[in-house]
Amino acid sequence: MTQTAAPPVPASAPDPGPAGARRIVPAAATPARTSRRARLRASMARTPGRMRIALAVSVLAAIAFGLLGFQAASVQARALTAAEHDTSQLVDIQEARNTLVVADAIATNAFLVGGLEPTAQRERFDEAVLAATTLLTELAGRNAADSPELATAQAGLSDYVRLVEQARANNRQGFPVGSAYLDQASTTLRDETLPALDGLVVANADRVATDFAGVRNALWILAAGLLALAVLVLVQVWLARRTHRVLNVGLVAASAVVLVIGIGGAVVLGQASSTANAVRAGPYAATLASSQAYSLANDAKSMESFTLIKRGSGQAYEEEFVASVTEAGERLDTAAAEGVIGDESSRALDEWVAQHELIRELDDGGDWDGAVALAIGDDADSPNAAFDAFSAQVRDDIAQSTTQTQDRLSSAQGLSAVSAWLLLLAGGAAALLAWRGMSARLEEYR
Amino acid sequence: MIARTTRGARLPLVATALAAALVLGACSGPDGASDLRRDVAEETTTEEEPAPPAASSQPATCEDPVASYEPEGSLPGPDDLPSGSTMAEIRERGSLVVGVSADTLLMGSRNPLSGEIEGFDIAVLHEVARAIFGDPDRLQFRVITSGQRLDVLESGEVDVVARAFTMTCERWETIAFSSEYYHAGQKVLVTRDSTVERIEDLEGQRVCAPEGTTTLERLGEFPGIEAVPAQTHTACLVLFQQAQVEAITGDDTILAGFAAQDPYAKVVGEAISDEPYGLGIGADNVDLVRFVNGVLEEMRDDGTWTDLYERWLGVLGPAPEPPNAVYGRPS
Repeated sequence: MTQTAAPPVPASAPDPGPAGARRIVPAAATPARTSRRARLRASMARTPGRMRIALAVSVLAAIAFGLLGFQAASVQARALTAAEHDTSQLVDIQEARNTLVVADAIATNAFLVGGLEPTAQRERFDEAVLAATTLLTELAGRNAADSPELATAQAGLSDYVRLVEQARANNRQGFPVGSAYLDQASTTLRDETLPALDGLVVANADRVATDFAGVRNALWILAAGLLALAVLVLVQVWLARRTHRVLNVGLVAASAVVLVIGIGGAVVLGQASSTANAVRAGPYAATLASSQAYSLANDAKSMESFTLIKRGSGQAYEEEFVASVTEAGERLDTAAAEGVIGDESSRALDEWVAQHELIRELDDGGDWDGAVALAIGDDADSPNAAFDAFSAQVRDDIAQSTTQTQDRLSSAQGLSAVSAWLLLLAGGAAALLAWRGMSARLEEYR
Repeated sequence: MIARTTRGARLPLVATALAAALVLGACSGPDGASDLRRDVAEETTTEEEPAPPAASSQPATCEDPVASYEPEGSLPGPDDLPSGSTMAEIRERGSLVVGVSADTLLMGSRNPLSGEIEGFDIAVLHEVARAIFGDPDRLQFRVITSGQRLDVLESGEVDVVARAFTMTCERWETIAFSSEYYHAGQKVLVTRDSTVERIEDLEGQRVCAPEGTTTLERLGEFPGIEAVPAQTHTACLVLFQQAQVEAITGDDTILAGFAAQDPYAKVVGEAISDEPYGLGIGADNVDLVRFVNGVLEEMRDDGTWTDLYERWLGVLGPAPEPPNAVYGRPS
């Protein structure tokens, strides 16, 4: 259509130009011409009524755009916030788990030494248990969905602490039954508390995955909102045919608002979505790799103590040690190969494992006392120092990648949240503009 | 103009939709497990239940389980062990590898104060080491559970097992024993205020015994009793103190060690069985069995046995006569 189409009637008349879009019915046009004219005349008469409908449609479309846009951006903002919270929950659950394994390794080591537990070791044990208890309580408060499993973990932990105390009491009297209590304590920890926490790690990882999907799916809602633009444009086309006016300022302005803010919103939301993807493949993947490797290494560390405590019958524990550190190494190497973490932690792990092999050499060579002395020593070049170096490195990695994850998700969330209000505002403004534009035309029929 | 506006408006719309579709398509990893890089299947591990020890099936055809190999001549000194013998090999290696318990008070347990493993079983091993090396401390301990005793001997991981090891015909099929060095009997440990006087009174109650022991097998002869297996004797004491079992059955030596650790426990009844303890030795090392029997012979004769008994098992009463060695097993 062009502005040269002077008569208002032949909206569907044959096109003047060959490039016209509406040449679908010319064959049928001739015999039906009379009735068509009549119908068109009748519709002409009803134009104000139709215009009222068009007014309603365009206003509703603009409002729908505002609402859908608001919804899209706030769904995304919520998903980003949830991802932020769930990743932090996941990391803290891993942290609680690691703290407990560390506590167990300390208690086990104390028995390895024999005699009275050194005060410093006992303090470290108490600190670790206190830290884990505090963390578990905090975690339960943060997400109600995790509460039942956390309650199981807490119950297991209090059993554990009770059994360790009994082990100590017996040990204090020189009764060998103490070590059987310690055994049972470790079993309780490993059979009740740790599996509950491991289950929560997976549950939270699932939640984070769902959050990331939500960040992405929000774009569909916005896409639906942009259909409003199509409605506005169609109304304008229809109006132009009806009223000889090429442009309706109100509707054009409304369309422009929807177009500009809609595309702006799509860009912001799209960027948030790709930020989420980048976080998932980058710092979030790094966090998971490091924290799981750290968990595995801590498991391995207490296996080392158990191997020695079993004094020659600890082959199964040593096998677990090897399995754990191998998996930890693989996780770190994969993450390093993907470029999400440096290779410092992997190298630190290798150094510690090399030190562990010295302990095994001594023990396997019959020098159990020497092996124990090496295992519990804390000189600068001892296995414990190597493990501490690894711990420090990997904890550093975890802290760094967690902060990155949180920061990036949080800033994306901020933009989405602002976009939500902008989109809502734009929808309102467009509705207002469309209403004014249409009512100006309606006035002409009064 | 209008047409152009329309087309112009549609283009970005299409572009936006396309862009959205692209971003939507660029997703990966549908769930948490894949973010964690875990196989879901790995979570399910099955733990193998240890098979309950089968009851001895052929006591009728068994010859004397306490009969061992007779020592040949007088015991050679540490410096003239027959060359090529197992003892010479051990001496060459530098230590006698022994399988022991580290939690059986009085027999073999780790002293929490010194960290040393000590007890009557251990003292006997020190004598064997003294005979081979001239130094009683040349022992390399491997702490084992009751259930591991046969395995470590069959695989040759240890030279001698001294761990409250009852000599039975069934065990003679895969390993060898020294002559009897201690005569124990199975009794019952109950709470201090219990009215139980013998094992039959425990009908309907839960009684703990370690896996892989003759004790647990014998418990099967009392069908009214609910047998609760545990990994070690000491694990039984934990269950007893936690009221998860009403009684523990075991050799009187072991139970005496428990009573010493728990003033609310007492050992009751007459021994319901004879438990002759021998040192377990690999079936192929007959020369070592003969040598160890020579050492035990000397211990019986020169009073060492009685000294050791009084030192470790004095709580059981005055030292009895050492058990007589029975020989005559054809090698």
